[in-house]
Amino acid sequence: MKKIMNKAEDFVDEMIEGILAANPGELATVADDLRCVVNKNKMAGKVGIATGGGSGHLPLFLGYVGDGMLDGCSVGGVFQSPSSVQMLEVTKAIDQGAGVLYIYGNYGGDILNFDMAAEMADVEGIRVEQVVAGEDVASGPKGEESKRRGVAGIFYVYKIAGAKAAELATLDEVKRVAAKAAANVRTMGVALSPCIVPEVGKPSFTLNEDEMEIGMGIHGEPGIRRGKLKPADGIVDEMLIPILDDLPYVRGDEVSVLINGLGATPKEELYIMYRWVGQVLAEKGIKVFKVYIGEFATSMEMAGASISLIKLDDELRDLLSKPAHTPFFEQKQL
Amino acid sequence: MTSIDIDALKNIFGHLKRIMDENREMLIELDSVMGDGDLGITMQKAFTAAHTEVQGFTGKESGQLLLKAGMKIAQAAPSTMGTLVAMGFMKGGKSILKTEEISLSELSVFFRAFANGIMDAGKTKPGNKTIIDALDPAAKALEEASVEGKNVADGIQMAYTAAREGVENTKSMKAQHGRAAYYQEKSIGVTDAGATVAALILKGFYLGVRE
Repeated sequence: MKKIMNKAEDFVDEMIEGILAANPGELATVADDLRCVVNKNKMAGKVGIATGGGSGHLPLFLGYVGDGMLDGCSVGGVFQSPSSVQMLEVTKAIDQGAGVLYIYGNYGGDILNFDMAAEMADVEGIRVEQVVAGEDVASGPKGEESKRRGVAGIFYVYKIAGAKAAELATLDEVKRVAAKAAANVRTMGVALSPCIVPEVGKPSFTLNEDEMEIGMGIHGEPGIRRGKLKPADGIVDEMLIPILDDLPYVRGDEVSVLINGLGATPKEELYIMYRWVGQVLAEKGIKVFKVYIGEFATSMEMAGASISLIKLDDELRDLLSKPAHTPFFEQKQL
Repeated sequence: MTSIDIDALKNIFGHLKRIMDENREMLIELDSVMGDGDLGITMQKAFTAAHTEVQGFTGKESGQLLLKAGMKIAQAAPSTMGTLVAMGFMKGGKSILKTEEISLSELSVFFRAFANGIMDAGKTKPGNKTIIDALDPAAKALEEASVEGKNVADGIQMAYTAAREGVENTKSMKAQHGRAAYYQEKSIGVTDAGATVAALILKGFYLGVRE
């Protein structure tokens, strides 16, 4: 293991300390707990949006706490769920009387703890609704969408829900657009090399020099096919075709595309991927509204990438276009 | 005894704390077979905190007391099993929130909501080698006892017996959840640690009611 860190057990807390120190005017912690991060900037009467999840995925999850996106985030250890009490503390801190929406990925530990936090929030008199993102087509076949893991596509759910909440919409309205965004996103990933959890110290799986795994999850969950590394266009085809067939995305649709690096893959390679994604979509008559390329949901030092598509209608396009400002994401009005 | 009042509940939580203290090592050993071995520690923390919370409870409503115990467990034991048990007490407590003295039929409502709350939160069902495989038979036994017009002590005794039988039955099941799921075939023949916790909870109720 070769990492820039002090002690493995301090990895997460020192990462948060660094983020807080670098963004003093924007983020704060609550309940005397570093793992409970909230936006300092409050908009009166707004629905609060909270997320949470394990560390090791920056900018996920806390990187999207900011204006026009999320109000708070509970932060777990590397690849571990935060506790329900941490989620509850964030909920209490961001509720302004309009209720709180939880948006998080479809993982057992997170679901359990967010359900628990929602129960406790109810006892405290705070109304909570939940939208669980699960858009990785490799992790569950069509018809079993509820098994699908949440990966980079959750970015779109945050962005769209955050924009709606900033219009001071009701909790039901914010939940509706979040669910609509989640229903229209699909993602597929590819891994080229594993990642190392600091406290474990060695990779959780191995991939040979000449191998890739299509569909692997952002914690190293098994994918759908392991094989020889292909040229970029071939890799893109293996990822993009299942995405297009799943929703399906068809001629005349308008989409936004997200090419996400998993941590160790350079932007150059992501753009080489997009070159082919753009050509395939043009050939299929699918119009591209906005392309995001960079790191949105990583897996420590894993090499690889994911492709996400969201099908847009007027409402989703309008919300996606709204400005946002967080320590890890900046967008002007499109 | 025809119903369980606040004093009886305080007594039950006294037993639960002692039972979890006494069974700490047994649960650690059981959990170490296929889990990470922290179950004994988690349950001791959970019921020590719940016991303290319950002894200090000054309200009249038993459902409220059980809900508070659940919230305390969630804080004290944030592991998966701690959170599931907390969820059980919270859902159960809410299902009889305003009840002051718990009748057998209300106790069956409590344990049904307890079991269903855990099934929903843990996305599981009977037969998957989990805590549910002791809780669900216990809830069913209470429902039957209630229909048959049994008294509270007899009803809880039937539930405790059903829970212990449920624990035995987990030996023949294949694990589907958590770390234990990696051992699917190998998990056959091993008693489920979560189900054992459920039987210990029923034991606390049984001992507390019997006195």
